[in-house]
Amino acid sequence: MKKYLFALFIGLGSLLLAAQAHAQVIVIANPGVKTSEVSKNDLKDVFTGSSTSLGGGSVVPILLKAGAAHEAFLQAYIGKNDTAYRAGWRSLVFSGQASMPKSLDSDAAVVEFVAHNAGAIGYISKATPHEGVKVLAVH
Amino acid sequence: MRLVVRGLMAGAMLTALTLSICLHAQDFKVGSKTVQVHGFGTQGFIHTNDNNWLTMNTSNIGSGAFTDAGLNMGMQINSKLRIGGQVYSRKLGALGDWHPQLDWALADYKVKPWLGFRGGKVKTILGLYTDTQDMDFANTFALLPQSVYPIDLRDAMIAHVGGDIYGKQKLPHKLGSIAYDAYGGRRSDSMSSGYPTELKSAIAAYLTFYGGPVYGGDLRWNTPVKNLKLGMSRQNEQISAAGTYQGAPYAERSRHDWTNQYYGQYSANRWHAESEYRRYYRDQIASSNTPGAFDVIQDIRGWYVGGGYTVNKWFEAGSYFSHYRDTFGGTLVHVIPPYKDAATKNVDKVVTAKFTLNRFTTVKVEGHFMDGAPNEFYPAGFYAAENPKGFADNTNALVVRAGFSF
Repeated sequence: MKKYLFALFIGLGSLLLAAQAHAQVIVIANPGVKTSEVSKNDLKDVFTGSSTSLGGGSVVPILLKAGAAHEAFLQAYIGKNDTAYRAGWRSLVFSGQASMPKSLDSDAAVVEFVAHNAGAIGYISKATPHEGVKVLAVH
Repeated sequence: MRLVVRGLMAGAMLTALTLSICLHAQDFKVGSKTVQVHGFGTQGFIHTNDNNWLTMNTSNIGSGAFTDAGLNMGMQINSKLRIGGQVYSRKLGALGDWHPQLDWALADYKVKPWLGFRGGKVKTILGLYTDTQDMDFANTFALLPQSVYPIDLRDAMIAHVGGDIYGKQKLPHKLGSIAYDAYGGRRSDSMSSGYPTELKSAIAAYLTFYGGPVYGGDLRWNTPVKNLKLGMSRQNEQISAAGTYQGAPYAERSRHDWTNQYYGQYSANRWHAESEYRRYYRDQIASSNTPGAFDVIQDIRGWYVGGGYTVNKWFEAGSYFSHYRDTFGGTLVHVIPPYKDAATKNVDKVVTAKFTLNRFTTVKVEGHFMDGAPNEFYPAGFYAAENPKGFADNTNALVVRAGFSF
């Protein structure tokens, strides 16, 4: 019985952490991106280099170099730590299958870049001002 | 021995850390376009209790002749077109010998998610890891299962000069998605690769060319079960070899040469598990340019089951069980005495500890416990030149490998 309670406790804890991560980060896109919503699977595909399109248009992922929003995004939507995530991208780069996505220093830099580059899609902390971009609903 | 291993590990870690601090991805501009520069490298050390392995003298204090490096440049021309190339060099005992190779150089035009084209020298997709086998930083293991990814025969399937058609398509009814890659071209092995080296040491045949047309494809299904991938690959080859034997011209050519590979991979939370089966059927005419031509058939079947657990961001533990069996046939089977069982198989039980020191640097410590030392007509890690007194049936190996990438 104790074992089941412990497993339940761990499961609920994980769900709570994931829900918190979702709440901390939002996904933004250039206003020209053709969709306003994205599934978790499609988002993961774009940010792991498996796909370069959303809603029938080309998209380019923009990363944060580090920070709370970056960690929250990886936890909520990718399921890897930063090292494993970047190793996955480097595998694509070194096997000739993709270019490394641009990594920017701050949430504000991501907003600025996404706002002015067609097809750009990124993620920022929910509290960051984000004029000039649209927020994608993730479901 | 312990002191040597500790010293080597400390040296490897220090070197890898220093390099990772000094080296970061570099970008520069050509006109308005950004050129990305990336690189990777590893330094390994192997000690075996018996048998010299992978053309190194591993059985005394061990060997550190296990180094490789790659340097890569790429440019995204527009949202559909990308160009790039990579130079690769390695030293693995008697193999590689630091001859730099053009690892790949290609133009990639992606029309739609379901349709793209790559042309040039392109990495061959065959199973889970053929195209990414050099990327030590991304793999759990210091040595991938040698039954399916023999490091001494890296050249054999790593790339082709030609073209690929590839794409990915979602399936209806939430059945996941399918990714495909179909290719055709030519393969050309380095003369310091495993097979030419074995011919040189075993029968004093000196090859000047080994390669030929290859074509094949890969189909992988990202199933509706989250993080479960299943796939299969096929490759056909028409290999020819040219060189000299005892001063006279020597040649080989394929009759039937094909590979089938089936694989599955699953990950959940901190776990990942994968399994692959590869069958390589090789039917070649040796001395094909002479009246004494003879048929050599190798039916090589390898498989493994493995996995890993990421304990925290610094440490991952992994293990695999790898099984290799080579069945020999052809004209000579009636002439030469049959090989003993241990000379046709390799069963390798492996445990690994992978330490991720930072975003750029990894160190792995790995134990191999092998039963069998295959040494028939086709190389499989154990070479006669480095084992002149013959082969012991069992080999234990300690592998330490430090790597960086940027």
